[in-house]
Amino acid sequence: MSRGSSAGFDRLITIFSPEGRLYQVEYAFKAINQGGFTSVGVRGKDSVVVVTQRKVPDKLLDPATMTHLFKITSNIGCVMTGMSPDSKSQVQRARYEASNWKYKYGYEIPIDVLCRRIADINQIYTQNAEMRPLGCSMMLIGIDHENGPQLLKTDPAGYYSGYKAISAGAKQLEANNFLEKKVKKDCNLTFVETVDLAISCLSTVMSADFKSTEIEVGVVTVDNPEFRVLAESDIDVHLTRIAEKD
Amino acid sequence: MSERYSFSLTTFSPSGKLVQIEYAINAVAAGAPSVAIKATNGIVLATEKKQSALHDETSLHKIEPIAKNVGMVYSGMGPDYRVLIRKARKLAQQYMLMYQCPIPTLQIVQRIASVMQEYTQSGGVRPFGVSLLMAGWDHDENRPYLYQCDPSGAYFAWKATAIGKNFVNGKTFLEKRYSETLELEDAVHTAILTLKESFEGQMTEDNIELGICDQNGFRRLSPSEVKDYLAAIV
Repeated sequence: MSRGSSAGFDRLITIFSPEGRLYQVEYAFKAINQGGFTSVGVRGKDSVVVVTQRKVPDKLLDPATMTHLFKITSNIGCVMTGMSPDSKSQVQRARYEASNWKYKYGYEIPIDVLCRRIADINQIYTQNAEMRPLGCSMMLIGIDHENGPQLLKTDPAGYYSGYKAISAGAKQLEANNFLEKKVKKDCNLTFVETVDLAISCLSTVMSADFKSTEIEVGVVTVDNPEFRVLAESDIDVHLTRIAEKD
Repeated sequence: MSERYSFSLTTFSPSGKLVQIEYAINAVAAGAPSVAIKATNGIVLATEKKQSALHDETSLHKIEPIAKNVGMVYSGMGPDYRVLIRKARKLAQQYMLMYQCPIPTLQIVQRIASVMQEYTQSGGVRPFGVSLLMAGWDHDENRPYLYQCDPSGAYFAWKATAIGKNFVNGKTFLEKRYSETLELEDAVHTAILTLKESFEGQMTEDNIELGICDQNGFRRLSPSEVKDYLAAIV
């Protein structure tokens, strides 16, 4: 197949390259890793957990405002990996979509419907030249009325899927390899095991022993489907247990 | 927020080619293989769906129903496919609303192909990076129809075809094994064998998807049904 004459725009806007690739989408994926953050999500038998790093680069910054965990509805939460401004924009859109659904249909948006909606919006950015893809990946967690604990991830290509465990960010390849070994076909992790697995995955791939101020953990459980962020004291309990196990 | 490019991104090259469409077809040819065979009493759709062990296999499907009597599968870019599923489902219901009967296969194919053509000519958009295999049962004629839709907006009726990676080998394989008297059960068997030709590794009920369209309508087979068919191959 002769290398067709691409006018060079295939690297600047989302049109096809001669091999049929979308370079702008591929570059958006690279932008996710720019921040150097990695996030991990694990789904257990009756809970779902997301863990991400917490870096406060300047002592003058208010640490309470430096977070990548966001509540979309009271029962759906997410962790954003990638460019902060794009992440905040996507969170706002997700919150709008969820509220709009509740307004129009009278019941809470199911988590997979929300994820599909965000993914469909991401797909539009890959097909329309006037808007660039967002440089961020959204991992949603929630307890679904019909399907139980759910972990879903969407990316700049507009792809989305449900997962038993997944990671995003700079060390996602290593983290996914770690998780693949630990997660079998019928995984029945308890809440404590789920949190421990997520935290130890992040520790292993970042080769770091975290302090409770260096990571943030978001959870939903069947007993309490409200999305909440673990307090530092709770994180300490998990970290101690992981350290003692080694 | 809806600022639009007013000019088309798909333009003619000096030799008269629409290169964006050709590149889109290349994107399809790089995608996971899909196969479809029309038998006397129905159509089988089969596709490879390789995912890592971390995926929840039930969360995402490639073979999707459009109406009770029509289903489709794709090769190429998943996110683009979702857009077409949505549009196809809406168009099928609009037809039902207007004419009070299930949409004939050719009608839905023409409508979707028209959508795909629009994206090769409208301002500020690129063509879809998917080829669709649409299978439907027409109740007035009491027979199955199988069509392929390309990124260009062209559509073709097939007796049997393959798209995606290694599609040339797939079609050669099918040419040898296709017969006009093929029945659905044998067609499923042949479809699996065709996929197997380009399959790397062990085929299980978790890494392929099968769909059937017959007189009773379109449905995707459950993993246990797929497992039974695979057991018959080995």
